[in-house]
Amino acid sequence: MSKKKIHEDQKYIEGLQQNNSFIIQTIYDKFVPKVINYIKNNNGNLNQAQDVIQEILIVIYNQANEKKLQLTCPFDAYFFLLCKRKWLNELKKYSLKEVTINDEVLSKDDDAEQLAFETSIFAEKQVLFNEMFQKLGNACKDLLKSTFKIKSMEEVASILGVSYAYARKKKSQCIGKLTKLVQESPTFNQLKN
Amino acid sequence: MDDQNYILFENYLSGSLTEDEIASFENKLKNNTAFNTEFTTYKELSVFLEHKFQRKEDSTAFRQNLKRISNSYFEKLETPKKSIKFKTWQYVIAASVVLFFGIQFFNSLVTPTYAKYANYDTISLTVRGSQNKLLTNAEEAFNSKNFVKAEVYFTQLLEADNNNSELKLYKAVSQIELNKYTEADEMLTTLSRGGSIYKNKAAWYLALSKLKQKDYKASIEVLKTIPKDADDYKNAQKLLKELD
Repeated sequence: MSKKKIHEDQKYIEGLQQNNSFIIQTIYDKFVPKVINYIKNNNGNLNQAQDVIQEILIVIYNQANEKKLQLTCPFDAYFFLLCKRKWLNELKKYSLKEVTINDEVLSKDDDAEQLAFETSIFAEKQVLFNEMFQKLGNACKDLLKSTFKIKSMEEVASILGVSYAYARKKKSQCIGKLTKLVQESPTFNQLKN
Repeated sequence: MDDQNYILFENYLSGSLTEDEIASFENKLKNNTAFNTEFTTYKELSVFLEHKFQRKEDSTAFRQNLKRISNSYFEKLETPKKSIKFKTWQYVIAASVVLFFGIQFFNSLVTPTYAKYANYDTISLTVRGSQNKLLTNAEEAFNSKNFVKAEVYFTQLLEADNNNSELKLYKAVSQIELNKYTEADEMLTTLSRGGSIYKNKAAWYLALSKLKQKDYKASIEVLKTIPKDADDYKNAQKLLKELD
């Protein structure tokens, strides 16, 4: 991977990651109007715009926390593309009538395209991971919940009343089971990039 | 077979493999695609679970905060603009309101000053019973606003203890007072980006330093980074309003 220069707008990503109200407010003031306009011009209303924007900001927050999210393009371009894609998907899902899409606002920014693409893959994986987690048996669910909540495996073992070695082995088996479930799901193969 | 792999993944991720084992593990990652894919997913899931359970509270706090900001933003957009017919007495009221805000606005044009915000509490560096003369000197110099001496003492203290964020912070504050901005700003910038508990304090003093230098734009930028849970958040917001 070539090292690209990180854009100064990285501060918005970090602000979201740190739950900095000031930055969140700035994002609304600066970048949200464009998204609202786009959605309103494409068969949407304010309520729908509000939901799309909120969901995208949560996805960015999650990605920033789980993976290092490094912005190599302006936040505006990246954020707008994500909201736009999300809205077009919603339209496809719910609308039976012919939709006219007013697509004059095109992004020419390759970095933004690439980053937005990675973020949408991330978002779909989150959904998939959550779904598969629900398919695990209760024993695994509980064990994983406690191992990740309580950092020390020794403590987890003593709470569950098992030996340290056994708790560790169980943890790896449970994540292993989850790995299998994920890899066997049809969605996963579509997401592989 | 699979279970063995998972245990291996876990040991690799938790750093409990020997050097040789790591080498052979990484070699296998390179040469065995299936093994690699499986490990990548395993690792991704570990991070996912960690985030899901360990940082659940952070994540809930973020969602709530986001919702609040979003709601207030969209409520403003939805308020319909009505046209209102005025009667004469309403004009009078309107005019006085305009006058009132005019005065307020005029007042707000007066730019806030460093002196108004730079209220340090007295500091206490010495631990009861400790005999560190230098610490006592530094503390006394700082508290009596003798910043020339304070800077000298802090510099000496830092020579012996060059990772002490608290000392660094007070040295920088002394330097702001002495108009040694370059050094002060550099130190505060580093502190504010670091992980110490003085991080937010450092950002606050950096903003004050910029204010004193009349670099209002830079001051605003720094103020915006001070998070809600910081001690100086209220002051920061107040200053931001005045600078706007």
